[in-house]
Amino acid sequence: MDFALLHDAFWGLTFDGIALGAIYALISLGYTLVYGVLRLINFAHSEVFMIGTFAALVAASGIMGVKVEDDPRTGVSMILTLIVCLVVAMLASAITAVLVEIVAYRRLRQRGATKLATLISAIGVSISLVELFRIITDSLPREFPRIMEKTFLFSYAGADVRNDKVIVIIAAGLMMFALERFITKTRLGKGIRAVSMDENTSTLMGVNINRVITVTFFAGGLMAGAAAFFYILVYENTSFKVGFFLGISAFTAAVLGGIGNLKGALFGGFALGLMETWTSAVFGTAWKAVISFIILVLVLLIKPTGLFGESIQQARV
Amino acid sequence: MANLKSSLNLRDKGAEYWERSPKWRRVALAIFFIAICYALPFLNNPLVNTPGSDFQSVLFYPVGMYVLMAIGLNIVVGKSGLLDLGYVAFFAIGAYTMAILGTKTSLNFWEILPIGVGLAMLSGVLLGTPTLRLRGDYLAIVTLGFGEIVRIFAVNTDAIGGSRGIAGIPTPPDVFNAKFTILDPKPYYWMLLTFTLLIIWMVRRMAARRPGRAWDAIRQDDDVAQLMGINTRKYKVWAFVLGAAVAGVGGVVYASQILSIVPDQFNLNISILILACVVFGGIGNVWGVILGAVLLAFTPERIRFLSQPRILVFGIALVVMMNLRPDGILPKKKREHFDPDWHTVEESGEGEIK
Amino acid sequence: MSENVLELKNITMKFGGVTALNEVNLVVKKGEILALIGPNGAGKTTVFNVITGVYKPTSGDVVFQGESIVGKKRFKITKLGIARTFQNIRLFGESSALENVVTGADVHSKTGVVGSIFGTPRSRREEKANLERALELLDFMGIKKRAGQLGKNLPYGDQRRLEIARALATNPKLLLLDEPAAGFNPAEKVALAETIKKIRDAGYTVLLIEHDMSLIMGVSDRVAVLDFGTKIADGSTTEVQNDPRVIEAYLGAPADAS
Ligand SMILES: Nc1ncnc2c1ncn2[C@@H]1O[C@H](COP(=O)(O)OP(=O)(O)OP(=O)(O)O)[C@@H](O)[C@H]1O
Ligand SMILES: [Mg+2]
Repeated sequence: MDFALLHDAFWGLTFDGIALGAIYALISLGYTLVYGVLRLINFAHSEVFMIGTFAALVAASGIMGVKVEDDPRTGVSMILTLIVCLVVAMLASAITAVLVEIVAYRRLRQRGATKLATLISAIGVSISLVELFRIITDSLPREFPRIMEKTFLFSYAGADVRNDKVIVIIAAGLMMFALERFITKTRLGKGIRAVSMDENTSTLMGVNINRVITVTFFAGGLMAGAAAFFYILVYENTSFKVGFFLGISAFTAAVLGGIGNLKGALFGGFALGLMETWTSAVFGTAWKAVISFIILVLVLLIKPTGLFGESIQQARV
Repeated sequence: MANLKSSLNLRDKGAEYWERSPKWRRVALAIFFIAICYALPFLNNPLVNTPGSDFQSVLFYPVGMYVLMAIGLNIVVGKSGLLDLGYVAFFAIGAYTMAILGTKTSLNFWEILPIGVGLAMLSGVLLGTPTLRLRGDYLAIVTLGFGEIVRIFAVNTDAIGGSRGIAGIPTPPDVFNAKFTILDPKPYYWMLLTFTLLIIWMVRRMAARRPGRAWDAIRQDDDVAQLMGINTRKYKVWAFVLGAAVAGVGGVVYASQILSIVPDQFNLNISILILACVVFGGIGNVWGVILGAVLLAFTPERIRFLSQPRILVFGIALVVMMNLRPDGILPKKKREHFDPDWHTVEESGEGEIK
Repeated sequence: MSENVLELKNITMKFGGVTALNEVNLVVKKGEILALIGPNGAGKTTVFNVITGVYKPTSGDVVFQGESIVGKKRFKITKLGIARTFQNIRLFGESSALENVVTGADVHSKTGVVGSIFGTPRSRREEKANLERALELLDFMGIKKRAGQLGKNLPYGDQRRLEIARALATNPKLLLLDEPAAGFNPAEKVALAETIKKIRDAGYTVLLIEHDMSLIMGVSDRVAVLDFGTKIADGSTTEVQNDPRVIEAYLGAPADAS
């Protein structure tokens, strides 16, 4: 155990934790959105994220022609590359998410299949996508070219604030703000909320459920795609396995905050990012998952529906 | 589709035939099928050949082992409706008990077996008692986490071999003429089959009696089950613990055959595969579950010649199957009972109560 | 004979801002059929939910056979002797009618999981006894021929009857029926009224929620009326029928306005 490290590098760790937490939060929004309308864990969401990282990779090297051995870009070219990669990753993930819904969920839902059957179907899609990318990438991790020079903007209390992480935190914040606006202000967003509260009544009130579900997956996919690009920008590599690790953490984050609850997902994401970074400093990264798990179980024992509670109304008898 | 429909009828016809058969015919049929199961290692047919791996080994692992574990997980998921995504943890606990006690003490396999099963059950109680009041999806993530934790704990604990695991696990002592050696998987298969049959027998008894009804009730409507006087918490923990016991048996047997274990064998994929066996075959129905486990364990071995894309094919098959038959290949019987006693009841309309 | 089976003492039940029950006092006497009536949303089902432990009342006490049962676990309350049916039928749809009823009869069995695995003599005895009791009850409710059918496949009326059989199987001291005649035609209602009387005559105490006035007048020994969560009347059928407050609650206008 190394409390000295936590003490000395506290602000640096905290800053890293917020950046990681922003990525978790974006992914967990997808879990929570889908859970809200379908009451199902979207098991394939981690692969929606994984595909986003590869899409960003293809965008950088294929479309923008950035090579791993190149010098980082600067000025307009850099900004353009960043934006193209982000947009491509978001679209790829969003389209994947919509396809996942059509392939894994739609038919089963229309037949009124059990939760478990649907879960297995989603797991099947997840396995297929992981395997597909394992075969394509020959089981090797892929390096992401450096598209921007990583510099320290400033230091605060011994913490070096790196530019890429600042971009991630700000951009993630903007994404979340946009999503919040979309859900509360637009007609489709209101449809999502209505279905989350009560599917039957909202059908009666003329909400087109299929459309709402598609939009939900699309929105969740957009967030996961953004997370994917931010992830690859900061950590600069990906592999077919990336979805698995990030997915478990992000899902834990969603549950921690109270699944189905958007605020909860945000809070859970940041809380988990911070806790993982802090506790890794103390106990070593090997025990990171163990500690997150223990915290999750403790929270659930005290508050069985997560910190912020579910948005779902109490079941009536 | 027509094919699927007729297979469904076959299932019903089979069940009806069984229910209408006199006792002697049932016994004869059961003995016949059990004999076939024991004789399977001697089967030498190009259809079931497993290129790239020895058929007799495949029968023990994965086929036999998946069947055993799927039956155990079916108690948890199929009977009582609890979504357990970390089932592999109990398998790992059984295997590690065998490995540690087998290499560090002079206890033999038969002495370690009850200890391994006991420890698996104990961990089932410890995990289940606090977490089983959580609703379905929360339980899923907690169990998933537990499965990962057990593995990570093993990887990071040098006293039990860390990521290199434990080697030199002793084989069980001979039983009659059966010699347990790494070279011959047959005795292991027979032992596993014996345990499996024993467990099927126990599970069927429970299912037909009070615990089975309690689990049915809990799975269908937890609130109403409580209001009908069922201590739902107690029965859930029992389901969890019995499932853990079965996986514990599997773990001990597995470790004694494989001679060395490493933590990464006990990963999330195993939990998910076993769950897939349960749902794929027909959740809640023990025969369906067995069929699912056989298919899912055997098919990837059978198509090993596809080497690269075989897991991909497996994943796609899962999706296609669930879309075509969401209740599995052999779903729990939905048909009405055929018991003649109930069919011909005379309605008195004048019933009295106590 | 007028021993109190159940007493609600100043029960208040709030859901967020909604006060579903407000200082309700209610007594159920041994061996009677007490009807609980009131307009939609008056809080009748909530009374059942408070009694059976589905909700913990915001304040007040529920005394069953001299013992406070507030805060007790639901299954313990059932074991003590309170059983109920549900307004929106909640059978175990994937289980047979017989299994549904045996599940209720299991309440008082002593056999646990281990005993069932090994098939101890007690387990066999109890299995047999519960099965017989369940068949008797199906017969009593006139649905014995449905024994082997799945709950969800039963016709609507038989589902309601099956719910009563399942509740009776727990051998309750107090039986709570939540709109058991909902959706019945007049002939069925008459038959049901007879059945409820038979249940009382067999020694059970019944608390009945019902909307159909003629049914209520036909079967009940006493009537209690809820309106907006408050008990506004309580007495014999004739007393309640002529109570101006009850008439107002039902017609929404003072009695003498017509
Ligand atoms: N779980 C709950 N959460 C919030 N409000 C509730 C809940 N249960 C009941 N209520 C409210 O309490 C009030 C009383 O409901 P209740 O179901 O007891 O009425 P009721 O008399 O049974 O009506 P009905 O004749 O329609 O069955 C209603 O306003 C209802 O909306
Ligand atoms: Mg009601």
